[in-house]
Amino acid sequence: MRSAVVITGLGTLGAFGVGREALSQVLASGQPPRLTTIDRAAGFHRPSGSRGAFLLGSRDLSALVSPATARRMGAPSRMALAAARLAVSDAGILETDPAFAETAVVISTAFGPALFTERLLSSIFKEGPETASPALFTESVASAAASQVALNLKARGPSLTVTQREAGDWIALGEGARLVRTGRARRALVGSVEEMTPLLHAILDRFHTLATADESGEEVARPLDRDRRGVVAAEGSTLLVLESESEAAARGAKPLCRIVATGAGFDPTAPDNGFGADPEGLGETLRRGIERSGRRLHEIDLIASGAAGSIAGDRLEVLALATAWRAAEASLPVLWAPKSALGEWGGGHLAAAVLAVSGAALGPTHGYRTLDPELGVAPYDGRPLAAPKLCLATSVAAGGSMSWSLLEAVI
Amino acid sequence: MTEVSTQDRLRELLVKSLHLDGLDPSSISEDEPLFGGGLGLDSVDALELVVSLERDFGITVPSEDVGRDAFANLKNLTAFVELRQADARRTRSAR
Amino acid sequence: MSPRDTIVVTGIGAVSGFGWGTAALWQGLSAGRHAIRDFDRFDHRRHRTHVAAQVPAPPDTVADAAGDTASLADAFAVAAADEALRQAGLRRAIPGLRGAGAGVFFGSSTGGMFESEGFFEALLGERGSRRLRLHELLSQPPSGPGDAVARAFGVRGPVQTISSACASATLAIGIALESLREGETEVALAGGSDSLCRLTFAGFNSLRSVDAGPCRPFRHLREGLSLGEGGAVLVLETLAHAEARGARPLAIVAGAGGSCDAHHMTAPDPSGVGVVRAIRAALADAEVEADAVSFVNAHGTGTPLNDAAEWAALSEVFGARAGQIPVTSTKGNLGHFLGSAGAIEAVATVLCLEHGAVHPTPGDGPIDPASPVDLVLGAPRAVPTDAVALSTNFAFGGSNAAAVFRGWPQAAGSPA
Repeated sequence: MRSAVVITGLGTLGAFGVGREALSQVLASGQPPRLTTIDRAAGFHRPSGSRGAFLLGSRDLSALVSPATARRMGAPSRMALAAARLAVSDAGILETDPAFAETAVVISTAFGPALFTERLLSSIFKEGPETASPALFTESVASAAASQVALNLKARGPSLTVTQREAGDWIALGEGARLVRTGRARRALVGSVEEMTPLLHAILDRFHTLATADESGEEVARPLDRDRRGVVAAEGSTLLVLESESEAAARGAKPLCRIVATGAGFDPTAPDNGFGADPEGLGETLRRGIERSGRRLHEIDLIASGAAGSIAGDRLEVLALATAWRAAEASLPVLWAPKSALGEWGGGHLAAAVLAVSGAALGPTHGYRTLDPELGVAPYDGRPLAAPKLCLATSVAAGGSMSWSLLEAVI
Repeated sequence: MTEVSTQDRLRELLVKSLHLDGLDPSSISEDEPLFGGGLGLDSVDALELVVSLERDFGITVPSEDVGRDAFANLKNLTAFVELRQADARRTRSAR
Repeated sequence: MSPRDTIVVTGIGAVSGFGWGTAALWQGLSAGRHAIRDFDRFDHRRHRTHVAAQVPAPPDTVADAAGDTASLADAFAVAAADEALRQAGLRRAIPGLRGAGAGVFFGSSTGGMFESEGFFEALLGERGSRRLRLHELLSQPPSGPGDAVARAFGVRGPVQTISSACASATLAIGIALESLREGETEVALAGGSDSLCRLTFAGFNSLRSVDAGPCRPFRHLREGLSLGEGGAVLVLETLAHAEARGARPLAIVAGAGGSCDAHHMTAPDPSGVGVVRAIRAALADAEVEADAVSFVNAHGTGTPLNDAAEWAALSEVFGARAGQIPVTSTKGNLGHFLGSAGAIEAVATVLCLEHGAVHPTPGDGPIDPASPVDLVLGAPRAVPTDAVALSTNFAFGGSNAAAVFRGWPQAAGSPA
């Protein structure tokens, strides 16, 4: 019987700060970090549009990524390498560990290196293609972050970059786990990274993706709420160390959690860049996938949903979950929406789910006020909760994809 | 009015275009190896430098010269740039 | 341990500089032609080079197959998937596959970047009175083409796009393989799609790695790569699944493997050591010895660094036999598609196996004595129809991928 795959290290950074502790505090209080006002000087933004995002700010990452190393890096590469180093250290692994020769890197990103892509396009159109910068081009590809993590940690196993919008995180986890499970890699560094630039923010806002100020005057994500009006954009990175449970035990590492199963599905009724109208189909795919793993839905005691305040996205995800549980003749467990405090993109969801199943305290859902009768489900309100034994993380993406992971507590 | 020498302009260009933040341009000696040496520059930096040279000095740099002798150190690079500038002026005046 | 299922290819589809469809593809490949020439996808006058393998306009017969898609890359992908599914006899069956029955595993670098450039030009270029057209961004991410295929054919299972530069599609094929072996999906549409765009054209030219003329992989006078565009899809399923529904396999996908050089952000490790690991991982996964490989569809970009590293790898893997194994480079015919290169090369490899002939790389010698591969030039080279073929793709940033295919003996003869 092959050994299961476990997560033995977690590195994370974002507007909330740098490291597990900083993120754990946000999860425990449920309170999001301060919203940073986006720079609108370039004039891309709608006058009435969204104005803020959860940005990294001027946090000093130089202890993790030296200025010499970072010289040509775009923000995604820098953030991912910093998070990777945090994860490796958290796992109790030295950077000289020979196992890096068989360590894979799997990173998810929705939009890739937005700033460098913008600069490159700008120079091509304003000054001419002959002025295109090779250094910018090298760092503008979606796989730049994964390449830099591999390069700097000498990780020589397979290197993959998943670009599947908001569903990418759990797909990346699934592929990383698969590489370890099938013996193609001894370990995997798996995670997510996103940078949020003024232009990207303006574009997301023009697609009505982002929350704008409501009658409270605040821009706030209200996952599952009747009056939700969009997500809060975030940047950051989370990297996890994956290895086989037997190897972790052999080196005395205590896992954060076990990866029981992962899967993905698609709603073909989704328009480009939008959410579809078939939660029943998604729910069926989800239920069958979970049951295929040998688990039953009634065993799941926490759902770490990817609901982030999107009108259509939250609806699709929650109704899909409801469908799945109804078909399994079980009642939905606590439905937690960590993106209420962490925003959409940047890997916060990955870190939150792993920390939740490893025993982190969870606070109430920020921004939630009123039940949406169409959903019929309220998100977690902060009441005392037994430590989850089996947590399902789900995410639906604009464009049609859905992905999920089943994480088990390791006692 | 004193003109900044080509060599000093190249020092500034190196620091700026290659993001050698914090490096004092005057500390780049004319003999020290630019690539594979203490500055930690590689082939992508060489190409990046070429884009800046072509734009700021109005010269063209043939691919076969990139990263070769002409780029070995600042002294060689200065001579190369001045030669290419003279070529460019000759080509323009010949029209 | 239960025996592993054989994974077979039951349908292929392709759009390339030779045209729409695998018949046009094979016609061009087997004749040793190339499609790398002047192009009008965008104004290239100020770019450093001026040739590429552009996809011609679709003939009326296939125009509908491209459907109502947001970008060229989407249209290539949907047309290729349509062709592949029709050949496999699964086109109508896919929406009925509930749960994770069908999946899409794609590789792409550009997605809808070409169309997005219209938006960005209006936004970032000279300020004009042109209104911004947001819809031009709709299919922008690399996930665009894979998602378009899933929407067009009613796929409900896993849909994912890998964007690891030039290794993307081969990595995606490897994932499709595992998904099928693990019983996660029953039918996998593996492939990829990319279109020419100003960003990648300017970008590769800024690296001075583009040949002014059509690329000449492994030739002494090569000067770099050529860019191309298109889409390619393979329908994969287990042999048991194919036999149960009476479908005829075209070839076997025997194995796949990957690695990372961790050497440099653009240049390959010259010793080829990373590529060797990817190739050996693929061969081991295929349970095939190096000695059994009949031909290689090389990464073969035509840049001195790539060709040299590839030769070093082939030498290490094949030893004394390295200079005697027929090698072809589809990039010589169709240019480098970037992320989806592995997909068109997989389809080309399947066609070679079906026809029992390795397609020639265009042009003639001399071969660079520093990388003395047995390059197939002039006429196609005969191989047995149950031959074992190796396809390699290594990426910018060091990600390497390899896949092993084996011919299906009964598929010998004319194409479907």
